[in-house]
Amino acid sequence: MSAIESIYLVFLGTGFTVGFGHCIGMCGPIVFTLSLQLKHRPSFFPHLFYNLGRTATYAILGAAAGWMGSFTRLASGLGGMQKWIMAFAGLVIALLGLGMTGWLPLGRIFSNAPSLSGLLGSAIRRLQRSKSALFFLPVGMALGLIPCGPVYTALLAAARRGMEAESALLGAASGSAIMAAFGLGTIPALLILSRVTSASWLRHREWIYRLGGLAMLATGIYFMVKGIRY
Amino acid sequence: MPACPKTHGILFRAVLFALVGLFSLGGAIAQASDPEPNCAIQEGACTQSAGNRTVTLNILPKPVRAMQELTFRVEVGGEPPSAPPVIDLDMPAMEMGPNQVRLRPVNATVFEGTGVIVRCPSGKRLWSATVILSETTKAKFLFRVRY
Repeated sequence: MSAIESIYLVFLGTGFTVGFGHCIGMCGPIVFTLSLQLKHRPSFFPHLFYNLGRTATYAILGAAAGWMGSFTRLASGLGGMQKWIMAFAGLVIALLGLGMTGWLPLGRIFSNAPSLSGLLGSAIRRLQRSKSALFFLPVGMALGLIPCGPVYTALLAAARRGMEAESALLGAASGSAIMAAFGLGTIPALLILSRVTSASWLRHREWIYRLGGLAMLATGIYFMVKGIRY
Repeated sequence: MPACPKTHGILFRAVLFALVGLFSLGGAIAQASDPEPNCAIQEGACTQSAGNRTVTLNILPKPVRAMQELTFRVEVGGEPPSAPPVIDLDMPAMEMGPNQVRLRPVNATVFEGTGVIVRCPSGKRLWSATVILSETTKAKFLFRVRY
């Protein structure tokens, strides 16, 4: 097997090991949030599409890094956007947490939430009407932009591959493949975590649901603070 | 006696819970017990011994910040290495993926290369640079970067 092919396996393996450590810590609260909001619905496909969306974003970022052949140029462009995505994800997680504790009349997004007016209410009603697991693909794509150390490391490799490529197009293809391999590698850990957090006894016990709400509120605040200070 | 599917389901989830808990707890404990830096890289170059050689590492420009292109300069004291060393960049107790700096010889004992130390959103700043002279001869530098 050539060195060019083996780098994809290296990053597939890296994604797999990083998934069980770093990603469970970073994306775990998001997986937990999705699971608790999907109370009466099968959760496998929504979680799968969330993860595929995340991987698609990594592949697009990898293509950009490979095309440019520079990590620092890409990172300087992304930096400002990523901090606000992290802060916004924190805000959404905190709002959902408040809804779950009953302190904010949001209810469960995919069940009988009280009707709300305004932009937030309209967005939540749209979520309630959404029956397709495909909805979680763009959610995953957006959340794939949350800043993450191992993602940056994989992007460094994508940019290096772009520098060594014969053309920008080949660099983009190679960078994209590295990041896709990395993203696919992270999926098993988060799918296993989703299986755990989707346990029906966990989702159907009111006190666990409220405790989960408090955990989400704390996590959301943590994400917001980290995002704003990033 | 036939196995009960419900019991299997509960056991399966209990095992998954335990595994996820162990991984998370292991990660948290590892992060809580970060080692102390052995190199004040923001002040200047650092020297460590590796076998019967000395390895001096400097990173420029100062201050050493994450997410910018950095020049890594390694000087090997004693017998010159047979091949240019490689630097492995990592965070202690945090899997960050493979990030290696390839060095080119400036002369027989001095080597240089460029690389990037990525930023960890956890806010942790302790990084390690392991200068690998051979499979058994390595020097590990622990230092703090700035964000």
